Amino acid sequence: MKDNTTIGEREVSIFRKMKKLVYYLRLAPGVFWLVVFLVLPLSAMFIYSFWTMVNFELIPTWTLQNYLDVFVRAEGLYLKLLFKSLGMATAVTLGAIALAYPAAYYISTRGGKYKYVLLNLIMTPYLVSWVITIFGWRMVIGYSGLVNTLLMSVGLISEPMKMWGNWMTVIFVLIVSWTGWLVLPIFVSLEKIDRTLLEAGEDLGASPSENFRKITLPLSMPGLLIATFFVLIPTFGEFVAPILAGGTTGAMIGTAIESAFKRMHDWPFGSAMAFLLVIIALITSLVLIRKAGLRTLMESL
Amino acid sequence: MRLGKRIISAYFYLFMLVMYLPLVSLLAFSFNDSLSAGFPWRGFTLRWWEEFFSDPVALIAVRNSFVLAVAVAVVATLMGLGVAFAIVRRVFIGQNVLLSSLVVPIAVPALLIGISLFVLLRVELGLELSLFTLAIGHILVALPYSSLVLMARLIGFDRSLEEAAQDLGATGFTTFRKITFPLIMPGIFVSMFLAFIISLEDAVIANFLVGGDLTVPMFVFGRLRRWEGLPMAMALSSFMAVIALAVACIFLIRAIGPRLPRPSKA
Repeated sequence: MKDNTTIGEREVSIFRKMKKLVYYLRLAPGVFWLVVFLVLPLSAMFIYSFWTMVNFELIPTWTLQNYLDVFVRAEGLYLKLLFKSLGMATAVTLGAIALAYPAAYYISTRGGKYKYVLLNLIMTPYLVSWVITIFGWRMVIGYSGLVNTLLMSVGLISEPMKMWGNWMTVIFVLIVSWTGWLVLPIFVSLEKIDRTLLEAGEDLGASPSENFRKITLPLSMPGLLIATFFVLIPTFGEFVAPILAGGTTGAMIGTAIESAFKRMHDWPFGSAMAFLLVIIALITSLVLIRKAGLRTLMESL
Repeated sequence: MRLGKRIISAYFYLFMLVMYLPLVSLLAFSFNDSLSAGFPWRGFTLRWWEEFFSDPVALIAVRNSFVLAVAVAVVATLMGLGVAFAIVRRVFIGQNVLLSSLVVPIAVPALLIGISLFVLLRVELGLELSLFTLAIGHILVALPYSSLVLMARLIGFDRSLEEAAQDLGATGFTTFRKITFPLIMPGIFVSMFLAFIISLEDAVIANFLVGGDLTVPMFVFGRLRRWEGLPMAMALSSFMAVIALAVACIFLIRAIGPRLPRPSKA
């Protein structure tokens, strides 16, 4: 009698364990993908960054030369590119957030029942490929584009301005193309602000600008951090805009990495640069997401 | 104060205008009867659109893009469902590690995802690059978005509904079909939409993984890089933009309801 129950219990517990195992099988494809196509490739790249390439062949040498090269090769050109990219990414982030904030503020305070319609309208252009958007901007501010033609026909300028093909073009195109993207995270955080706080501030004699500085702005901080995350990271590794809009002065570290792989076929050197970028991007993201919270990120998707 | 409100309204309309300016100009110039892209205006023509619709390479690029995007949407969402259910409903060892590594594909510039996969698939494993290798990359980037969106949906899920169904005698599968699935449907919809768009608009990962099979962004990228055959590329680009607008309209009609979800621009 007693034996029977033990066997029964054991069966039940094995059955439970099996059921549990079957449940976790649903994790398998996702975990497999992350391990094989994320962890493994990044590790391979990391290993390559210590090798050398001679006559198009990889030789496992275990040297730090590639990393050293990032700092010294071509008289520090790559190091300069790295800092330049950081600077440009920061400028783009600040510019895009500054442009997006008033728009998000408008929708949040004046949108009424059309809030989501307006948000959708702002998102819609982002369904189109980034390459196509840059193409469009060339039609607007290019040499024979809309702005030049307009200004010439009004007589403000006599010759087309050269607005396309330098580092400022890259920054401009990135700012105007990113800014609509940031309206949502900022909007979400503005919506969460308790309006009674603002009334309380008013009652206590705060001016609207004081209210904004001391209540609205600090409370929308999580949204701003997520917005920073959304622009800063991809802009830092940007290579489409520099190639299509950057001319000779618009090169960024992403362009250098691309050409190390695709043109120079110097994979180890490219890997070293790429890995430095991975480290910087990951640390920055970690700090930003930690501060803003994963929850804010989820709500901003 | 009134003035302030007017300024912010005016700013907002200007903002909207700037958002649409590039796409509208592309569409307009795609009807310009000129061999170069841009002004001067030489009259209205449909020849670039005709050229696009009769160019086999461009049409294959369109087909490739859509087939790939649908496949990525389905696979990434299925994977995302598995991950989201396990993370939200169970506690297991390594949960936080999984959660953090889920964010990595978003926290690393797409360029590096493309390059590292190129290193593994092409250099290390010697695979031929194709739509297939590109799908691997797109699924990897779409997976975090799918998982996070579905997790958000599952966190707000009232589990007593499932328990009630089971108390009333429903089997596991019936419960899923009649209760769980309808309730997470919006999440699935958003996840598929995000993955679809991520795949459809990517040119960065494609630049490293697609090899000979063209997708639309790669087709346009190639023409822009060489600065040739642009009028037809404009027609093709406008075609994609019009489709995007049509998709957005579906959301707009159901407007006040769901918000248009946003994929990564990375």
